[in-house]
Amino acid sequence: MSSLRPYLVAVRSTLTAAMALENFASQVVERHNKPEVEAGTSIEALLNPLVISRNEKEQVLIEPSINSVRMSIRIKQQDDIERILCHKFTRFMMMRAENFVILRRKPVTGYDISFLITNFHAETMLKHKLVDFIIQFMEEVDKEISETRLSLNARARIVAESYLATFG
Amino acid sequence: MATKDFRKINIDQYDEDVLLEEDLYDHDPRDPATVLAETKQKAAAVRGLIAKGDIAGALSSVLENAPYGPKVDDAKILNLQTILLLLNSTKTADIPSTIKALSSDAQDTLMKYLYKAMAMPGYADVNSSALLTWHEKLTDAAGIGCITRVMTDRRTV
Repeated sequence: MSSLRPYLVAVRSTLTAAMALENFASQVVERHNKPEVEAGTSIEALLNPLVISRNEKEQVLIEPSINSVRMSIRIKQQDDIERILCHKFTRFMMMRAENFVILRRKPVTGYDISFLITNFHAETMLKHKLVDFIIQFMEEVDKEISETRLSLNARARIVAESYLATFG
Repeated sequence: MATKDFRKINIDQYDEDVLLEEDLYDHDPRDPATVLAETKQKAAAVRGLIAKGDIAGALSSVLENAPYGPKVDDAKILNLQTILLLLNSTKTADIPSTIKALSSDAQDTLMKYLYKAMAMPGYADVNSSALLTWHEKLTDAAGIGCITRVMTDRRTV
């Protein structure tokens, strides 16, 4: 896992750069204030999206705009079990998205989980702590999924052994 | 015969003062053919410089007047390949000194190319771990502002 660190360092610096957010009311609808990256109605308020990749299976997409930044993660999935575990895990979190404040209810197409940080989040919370949270999430999620997979395999082995023992 | 799709039409696009993507930045005054020819020339020159071991000089020559904007996709890809060749042929220990030798504009352009390359993993010469090392060293040297300039600059490479 030696190459995880430079990946996270790159994500951290890019996210920090994208965190320069300010309040910006919609230019299309009077008295509305929407995250421009989601609305996508005024192209001048959107900035260039950036991708950081560790390999084809692990990528981060950061889409900055004037008042919001959307960050999507593609989590490593080696086999079918990891794919299922990843799906269950992200679904569990996304169903409770309001408790995580910056979590998006649906991921962006092609990615497993998305976060949406608006200028209001950046004002009420500490920016560097938000970045820390996402980096920590990325660290933990890989660990969590591989641990669950190991314990799942171990349990399956015990179940199979005790089941087949009755025939032995 | 009206369909109900008419409600989905973005009527703002027919507005006469609508803002278009290409109005957001100054265009490259050179025409696409010239850009491609210049890029090819540089790519050839760079091979000579690599043979001499002058990576920093080669890198700054490729990063200068890098092709941007629409209609120059061939030149963009060619320039990207040249830069990847340079990045992959630099030893890890030489990276900080190579970066230090670049002007700040060249550093910003290099950052653009790093992100462009990272956006296409699995593409011929893209080596993610080398790119991440370059990214880290470049951020150390040029700061977070360099990344912000990549985000805000519409002249994408």
